[in-house]
Order: sequence, then structure tokens, then C-alpha cells
Amino acid sequence: MKGTPRVVDEALEDETRELLARRAARLREQGESNVEEAVHWIAEFPLGEERYALPLESLRAALPLRMVTPVPLSAPAVIGVLRFQGQVLSALSLASLLGGHGWRQDPAVLLVVDRGDGELCALDCEAIPRPTTLPLASVEAARARAEGPVVEVFTQDRQLIHLIDPRRLFARSDAGVRHAR
Amino acid sequence: MPVDPMLQPLVAGFAVEAQEVIQKVTMDLLELEREGLENDALAKIYTRLGRHLHTLKGSAASLGLQDLGDIAHKLEDALAPLKAHTQKMPRPVVDVLLHGLDLFMLRAQAHADGRGDYLPDPAAALAQLVAAAPPPEESAVLPGGGFAQVPPDAVSAPSAAVSAPVSAPFNPFAEAPAAPEPAGESSDAGWRVSANQVTSLMREVERLREVRLRVEERSRELERVSALLAKQGLLAETAEARTLLSGTGRSLRTDGEETSDVVDALEDGLKAITTRPTRTILDPLQRMVRDLSRQLGKEARLSVVGAEVSLDRRLLEKLQGALVHILRNAVDHGLEMPAEREKAGKHHEGALTLRVEQQGNLLYLEASDDGRGIDLNQVRKAAEKRGLVTAEEAARLNDNQVRDLIFSAGFSTRSDVTDTSGRGVGLDAVRDTVEGLQGRIEVSSTRGQGTRFVLTLPVDLGSSPVLMVRALEQFVGLPMLAVESTQLARPDMLRVGKRRTHLEYQGQLMPVVDLGARLGLRASSPPAEGQPLLIVQSGGKRVALGVDAVVGDRDLVIRPLPSEVREVAAWQGAATLSRGELLLILRPDWVVSDSEKGTVSAVSRRALVVDDSLTARALHRAMLEAGGFQVHLAASGARALERLQADTYDVVICDLDMEEMDGIELIARLRERKDTRTLPVILVSAHDSAVARERGLASGADGFLSKRECAAGRLLAEVLDVMSRRGSRA
Repeated sequence: MKGTPRVVDEALEDETRELLARRAARLREQGESNVEEAVHWIAEFPLGEERYALPLESLRAALPLRMVTPVPLSAPAVIGVLRFQGQVLSALSLASLLGGHGWRQDPAVLLVVDRGDGELCALDCEAIPRPTTLPLASVEAARARAEGPVVEVFTQDRQLIHLIDPRRLFARSDAGVRHAR
Repeated sequence: MPVDPMLQPLVAGFAVEAQEVIQKVTMDLLELEREGLENDALAKIYTRLGRHLHTLKGSAASLGLQDLGDIAHKLEDALAPLKAHTQKMPRPVVDVLLHGLDLFMLRAQAHADGRGDYLPDPAAALAQLVAAAPPPEESAVLPGGGFAQVPPDAVSAPSAAVSAPVSAPFNPFAEAPAAPEPAGESSDAGWRVSANQVTSLMREVERLREVRLRVEERSRELERVSALLAKQGLLAETAEARTLLSGTGRSLRTDGEETSDVVDALEDGLKAITTRPTRTILDPLQRMVRDLSRQLGKEARLSVVGAEVSLDRRLLEKLQGALVHILRNAVDHGLEMPAEREKAGKHHEGALTLRVEQQGNLLYLEASDDGRGIDLNQVRKAAEKRGLVTAEEAARLNDNQVRDLIFSAGFSTRSDVTDTSGRGVGLDAVRDTVEGLQGRIEVSSTRGQGTRFVLTLPVDLGSSPVLMVRALEQFVGLPMLAVESTQLARPDMLRVGKRRTHLEYQGQLMPVVDLGARLGLRASSPPAEGQPLLIVQSGGKRVALGVDAVVGDRDLVIRPLPSEVREVAAWQGAATLSRGELLLILRPDWVVSDSEKGTVSAVSRRALVVDDSLTARALHRAMLEAGGFQVHLAASGARALERLQADTYDVVICDLDMEEMDGIELIARLRERKDTRTLPVILVSAHDSAVARERGLASGADGFLSKRECAAGRLLAEVLDVMSRRGSRA
């Protein structure tokens, strides 16, 4: 008698409830995926067979490795000096600063970087770096663990990147006098 | 005493002018109290002095500054009896006159600042001045500078004189007016600009100078193009093109010359704004030295050399305090009492010397005295007593390290605090100032003979003449001021010894230094006939510098080097050449320094690294040097062959893949020559493949390494292995 319409209503109600629940789940899912993971922008480049990177904010320019004047009697890591935007900068061998690393081809690029103390210098590398990101949380965790100028961080697709901290690198580097004759 | 408001703008100008005149009067007074001047010279100084005082009186009166007119009048009165009997001025009179000048200047400045109304009545000061002056008859007969009672403030006055603003010479660009301005023109008619604005303007001028160099280079390129086309007969058929090309070349040259004139004018204008002669801070020091030595019962004379060198105003302001400290120290601690000096066989008057010299972008400031020198034992004890070092540490220090203790904060050899010293504040502040200016300070001293401080500071202003020379492939510059002359080597002028070669020059023998060897680019050898020799001087030392070629002189802006190479003693900076490349500029004091001192004991093994990669050369060099090798570099196969003709090597490390002549061709050339047939050669390559390895070893190489293996540290082991194998075969 009066029960049938109620059943229909109830059935409709269930369907509606399910529909709404599905919609809500979809929205929740969407919402979760919309929360962007905090990232650290880097300039990644090869050094031998390994991948290295510098924080993108420390990179000022990438130049071809030419017009570098050798500086006799300077420290082993010093390749020479060059002119960049009216300033005289040192060109340094990154492999030498890092204590000898792989060599896939002769460096052809100079990266002008902020040393972290307001001064600029140029580091050699084998190829023009590409901008990419690392999860910020991974970078911070790696930095907290390590004390040296290079920290190892995995990308989202599990590739190992050696991230250089310019401030730490130049704080410990012994670029200076080789010997006086 | 109120100044007529209409005249107030002129009073500021008058104060500046008065400062200049008073400085001249001060210098004359100091001259007059010295011994040994001829009567004619004395008379001239007295006449000049009288005129200057009269000028001060007249100028003050014309502006209604009666108090100043009265002071100048009293000073004239004090001078009058001495002018009548030309003689050395007695010290008490000099004291009075200097005191009067201080009084005059302080009141003139107060009037200029609009504080004239608040000045005390000058009557008391004038009365004191009159009372302090010896009676005319006494002044006229006082023998040889006998000491009289001096009012205490007459001696304490120098601090005011030294700290008073020092005027600049007249300069249309200058901020402050150098002379009274015409009526109706306010004193703020000029511009006030910040140091940053001027600095950025200087940078633009430097850029313009580089543009001019590039224009010159383009002009030369155009000439080369014309010559090339003419050589190939291509221009003969196109007269119109030829005319156009030569016309363009001429226009380019004219434009270059005009640009050059504009750059020079701009730079001169900027220099006039931003610099002033060093004498503006050195002259007032004469008075300070004089008054301080009087106060301490000593006698001292300050001689200044190079006061005409113009320097950045900001630099001068910072240096003034440092020089005051050094000279006060010299008078207080360095110079002995007159009787003690005479007992030691010295002149009773102590000699202080300030020498200023600019070479390129380096400024050398040398302050020396002929006093008792630094007592190292006393320094050790004082440093221990003040807790700067322990007794054990002090015992371990060498003489130079002990001397350096005088720059420590809190150091003083005085056990009591006096007006001049004992507070342990002084030379540490001097060193902080100098290091703050990116300079350095060094001290040398000989017991009983004196002490010398040398301040070396970078100066960053405008261009300076540089002589460009070449040693092997390295072009370098030398500040032209350090180059006395250039000549070509002749066997009859050279004295070749076992260890050194000397050049007979102007009746003297001077050491010959090979620039290439000094820079570690090649082994040292006596100069060949016809090789250019530059006579380089710095700090009183001279050497004959052997170079491979003299390229020519350039007017270049020398920039400071970055921190990574700043400490390399050989270089003072770098300048940009026409194509944007940098030219390193040598430090003349390093060139003339004793090269033997820094030489490591005889190096037995020598390696030649041949690679067209700058990085690879640097890396290989570092590894081999760490293994005790002396390493020379070549950027190509052709350069390597040249090096091998001039020098002998124990091993060659050569890149396989080089342009023009690759490693394999170089090995083939070496194996053809008798003297290099058995020379060990190791090939290195960025390509780590079996094919490359086989190819390299088949060419006659003694070893093969990939650059990855080199970078991993295997180079030295391979070199030693190959040398040992070659040795055993031989």
C-alpha cells in the first residue's frame, strides 16, 4: 500500500548516497593530488659517469669554456681567470675541487655560480646543465645528514644526484697559491 | 661677533682659503726652525711668511671678521723683529705662531659654520698669545733653538690641526668651493653626488675604454681584410669597393681616435673629482711630528717623497689615521733622545721618511725611521706579559713572527699609560684599516738602525700605462712606471755564472731573471743574443727581466683579482684587452724579489703535459707536481715540439685527440728525432675504448690512460712505471 513508494524512495536515496559518496571520493582524491610537493630547483649536469647538480638559485650563467687566461703559480684547482660582466672571475676545475672525479669528455662549459659569500666564480663542466627539481624534503634530510659540500639525493624516479652546496665547497677549498718561485 | 648676512656665503670660502694659507705658513715655520738654511733662503721664507700673514689679515678684515684680523696682526707683530735679523726662528716663537694659527683657524671655521656669535671674546686668547711671545729682543738673540716655557695648549694643538678638514686644490668639479664664490652665487651651487654614482660612472668610462680598444681592433682587422684582398688581386677589378673600404677604414680610425680623446677627458674629469694629492694628508703630519717630538723632548724631521701622487679621497681619509699612528709610534718608541742619538753616532735630529709610490693599481706607502729599531726580546716579554702568547709559544717564534706581534690587539711595550701610548691600541688598528682596504702591512727592523713599515694597497681608479710582454705563450703586463729601460741581450754585456746570470748595466752588475722560468713555464737559461731584457725597478731594487717579446705599451684599467688568486704574489691584477681576454699584470716587487729564496731544491724529474684542454692541463699538472715533478705545459703538438727543442724532459704526457697535430703524430715526430727517440710518452684520452688504447699503443706510446683513470689518480703511478720500464730498457 503505502510501502512501495517508500521503497522506491529508499532505493533512490541509496543510489543518490552512493553517487554522492563516489563524487566525494573523487574530489578527495583530486584534492590530495593537487597538494603540490615542495621541490628544490637544481641545475643538473654530468661529471664523468655521475650526475651532479648545483642549486639553480646559485647559477648565474653558463658560458663556453674559452677566453680563459691561465694564471701561472696559482693553486691546482685554478684553471685561469676570465671576464664576466665587467668583473674578473676565477675559473676552477670542479673535478679538482671535488678531489678527482670521472671524466667522460673534456669540459667545454663554464658555470658562473654565486659562491654563497656574494662573490662569483666559474666552475667547469662537461655539458650545459638542465634545470630540474628534487623533492625539498629529501634535500633537507640529506643536508641534515651530511657535513661535506656534496650531498646525495634521489630524484622521484630514484636516480642519484650529487648535489653541491657552493657555500660549503668554497669554505673548504684551498684554491690559492701554488708556490712562488 | 655677527657677520653681515650678505657676506656669510663668502666666509665659508674664506675658511677654505685660510686653511690652505695656514698650511703653507705652517710648512714655512717648520722650515724656519731647522738648522742649516742659508741666509738667502731664510730671508725668502720670512718674506713669504709675512705676505701670507698679511693676506690672512686683509681677507679677514674685508669680511668684517675683526677678531681674525687682530690675531693675524699679533702674529705679524711676533714675526717683525725676526724679519729684521734674518736667522733661524727660535722654537718658542714657532710655538707661539703655530698656536696663533690654530686659534685663527678654529675661529675662522666657527664663523664659516655660522657659530661666530657663540665664540668667546678673543681678548683673553690674544692676551695669552702676547704673554707667551718672548720679548722681541729675546726672540732676536735666542741661540739655536733653546727651549723656553711653552703654553701647554700650544703643544696640544696639533690634534685640532690634524683633524681639521683639509682643503682640496681648486677644481671645477669638486663639491666644496676652493675659493670664495662671486657674490650672488650660493655655496651650494654645485652638485652633491654619492660615491656609488661616481663609481658606476667610472665603470662606464672603463667600458667605453674597452669599446675603444675594440674599435681599434676592428680597424686593424679591416686593414688585414684589405691587404688580403689586394694580395689576391680581388680589389683591382673593383675600384669603387676599394675606395669604399679604405674610406671606411679611415673613418673607423678617426672614430677610434675621437673615442680615445673622449675617454681620456672623461677619465681626467673623474679623477679630478675623486682624487686629491697625497700631500693633503701628509703635510699636516709635519706639524704633528714636530709638536709630538717637542712634547717628548726629542728632535725629528719628516721627509716626504711622492706627495704629488693623487689618490682616491676615500682611501686618503682612511689612511690618514693609520699614518698618524705609525708616525706617533716612530717618534715615541722609535726615535731616541738627542743625547742618546749623538752617543750612538747619529745626528741629534731623528729622520722620519714617508715615501708614496704608485705602480699600476698598487700603492706602496713606506714609513721609516732611523731610530733604535724593534727590540725583539722586549716584544716577546711584553706579549707574554699581556697574555698574547705563552712563554713556550714565544720561544718557538722566529724573528718575523715576533715582529708581527706588534700588530696584535692589546699589544704595547709600555708598562704605563702616557698621552701617546701604552693603551695597546694602535698598530692593530692600523693593520685592520689596511686589511679592510684589501691591502697588507709589513714591518722590517734592524736593531740600532731603525724600523720600516710598508703598506701595500690596491687602488682602483682609472687606467695606467702597462708594458705588454710575452713569455712562451703567456702574455703579461708590467706597470710602465716600474720599467726603467729595455734593451736587447748581447753576450759582451752578460756575465754567465753557474747559478745566475748578471747583466752589466750602467757600470753595475744586476741579476738577470727569466720571466718564463720565474713563472714556472720553462727551465731557466741565460738569455739568448737579441732577447729583450727589461730593466725593472721596485723599492730600490733592480733586475734585468728576460722576456720572449715586447708587444707594446697599452693604457689599461687594472682590476683586482678574485679571491682564489689574490694571494698569488706574482700578480697585482688583470686588465681587459681588445678582444675581451684578460692580461695578467705582474707585481714589480715580486719581479725584483730574490727568486732564489723561493726555489725548491733542485728538481730531478721534469714532465711536459701536452693537452688542448685547459682543465686537463691543470689537473695533470697538479697530480705530477704532487709527485715531485717540475711540470711545463703545452697547448698543442707544435708548442710541445718547440718546448722539447729548448728543454729536456723525463716524460711527456700527451692528449690523443688534439686539433692540428694529434698525439699519434706528435709521437711519430718525436721518434724521428734522435734526442727524443727514447723519451717516454704516455697518451691520455677522454675516449676510454679498446680501439683508442690499441691505436695509441701501436703508435709507439709507452703507456695509455683514459682521462677518467687520470682523474681517479692513476697518472702518477703510470708515469713512474713507464719511466722505470724505459730506464731498465736503456
